[in-house]
Amino acid sequence: MSPRPWWAKLGHGSLLLLAIVYCLFPIYFMLVQSLKTPEEDVFGNPFIVMNPTLENFEELFERQSEVRGFVGVALRRSYPFLDWLVNTLVVFAGSVLVTLVASVAAGYALGRLRPPGFRWWRRAIFATYVVPQTILFIPLFQVVHALALDDSLLALLLVYPSMALPFCVWMLSGYFQHLPREIEDAALVEGASRASAFFRIILPMSRPVLVAAGIFTLGIVASDFMIASVFLLSPHNQTITAGLGTFDVALDELGAVAGVNLLAIPVMMISAVFARGFVRGLTASMLEGA
Amino acid sequence: MGRARDTRLAYLLLAPALLLLLTALAYPIGWEVWTSFTDLSPLKDATAHVGLTNYSRLLAGADFWQAAFVTVGYAVVTSVAKLALGLSFALLLVRPFRGRVFVFLAVFLPWAYPAGVSVIGWYWTLNPPTTTSYAPFMGHLKYVVDGTFGTGAWAFVSVILFNIWRGSSFIGVLLLAGINAVPPELFECALLESKSPWRRFWMVTVPLLKPFLALAVFLSLTSAFADLANVWMLTAGRIVFPIIGTQAYFLAIKAGQYGPASALSLTLVPVLLGILLVLFRVFDPPRQETA
Repeated sequence: MSPRPWWAKLGHGSLLLLAIVYCLFPIYFMLVQSLKTPEEDVFGNPFIVMNPTLENFEELFERQSEVRGFVGVALRRSYPFLDWLVNTLVVFAGSVLVTLVASVAAGYALGRLRPPGFRWWRRAIFATYVVPQTILFIPLFQVVHALALDDSLLALLLVYPSMALPFCVWMLSGYFQHLPREIEDAALVEGASRASAFFRIILPMSRPVLVAAGIFTLGIVASDFMIASVFLLSPHNQTITAGLGTFDVALDELGAVAGVNLLAIPVMMISAVFARGFVRGLTASMLEGA
Repeated sequence: MGRARDTRLAYLLLAPALLLLLTALAYPIGWEVWTSFTDLSPLKDATAHVGLTNYSRLLAGADFWQAAFVTVGYAVVTSVAKLALGLSFALLLVRPFRGRVFVFLAVFLPWAYPAGVSVIGWYWTLNPPTTTSYAPFMGHLKYVVDGTFGTGAWAFVSVILFNIWRGSSFIGVLLLAGINAVPPELFECALLESKSPWRRFWMVTVPLLKPFLALAVFLSLTSAFADLANVWMLTAGRIVFPIIGTQAYFLAIKAGQYGPASALSLTLVPVLLGILLVLFRVFDPPRQETA
């Protein structure tokens, strides 16, 4: 191929620039706001921050202390942010773990053991995505109540995996189905049990797909607003998402933006570290058709 | 190793996933179907079966058709935009160039940015509290849009923008993974066949990516239809352009009419199921058993 002319390079470059700006601008904007002092929030340039400060972040961790009078209480509400942080960690990690274990087991069953009608099992599990979540939380609340999980993080550990499972099972069963039989058979011939063949050979091989499933689950879990705010009622049991939803727009703007960033930045960093693995895993599960 | 033993093990391994799905979905769906035939309401003591009344009243009302119309429009507009942008991202990133990994990360981040909180950030960016320095500009934009298309248009536009921003990122990454799964020889052959990139795109790239595009369409549609929380957050509950999800929510929570609300949200199921069954043929074609 001949070297590309200068205008093609320029076009490519400007498209790339456009894509970067489009993708990153909202993230940048929210980060800038959270670093502002109240003065700069009102009088400054919206796109840059002259005197970055971390006071909005610090304020999130301050407990209710020394508020004077009614106005003080109304203006300076405080939140158990540390509890929210811990709860969020527990819910995120727990949901990813539950989803991975359940979907690896189901994926192996459908892709490898292939019980009668396995293709329809796969499709049926995937088809649960057609159920609109909208008012499902009303009966779901009854289920949660019947299991005595209301106002408990365990309720989210039940609901979140059910939202991520269908796609993960789809991916993993597709991947297991396409693994050459010989890989496992060789181990079985040498006298290994099915379980040890799975844990010693298949599971280590599947790391990219496991990463992809894990990141997908994290994306689902982190994108929920509704379930968390409906099921977690008392402030100390809330996750960051549910808690930020209770902020008052007019009074806590900067604090809320700081809270948004405090959750978003770690989640983004984790996802960014695994981003290439995510693509590799998706690719591995999609070889030979989706 | 008997086949029967394999099958038993398979069911055993399926159990945790099925149990989770059944607990979280089976009862709620059953409840929703049952409720849609009743006039169940938290505001009343007695509940009566009303047959298909909820459905017939729904289909006769103008509200439903307006919501359905807006929902379909919303789903189509966002899906087309997400596919177009996502495909552009994927094609931009296919060939190696210097700094590709950074562009890739940039494309990946909108999806990785937790939507549960980014929607809060978006809401406050697009509808800022009046004290912030960018509030006048945003307010002006809001009045222009609202004045042209009617009150509430700006909020609806915000929801669309947010949905596209996040969805195009996921679809871009999904399609990039899809392109990687297609043997590169197929693209190289195409290079010899036709000189026009436009023709190559429609005759080769799109057909080769069809399964992945279909998967992307479905995931985009379900998220668009079910996207209640985003609409809720971004419009702070002041729904002027109702989509089916928000209308059902209002019927259930504000009006306490569980029956009609259930019927309303169930109207989406046959539509989505039909779309899924068509799409399955594309992204899950029946293929020969590998021995």
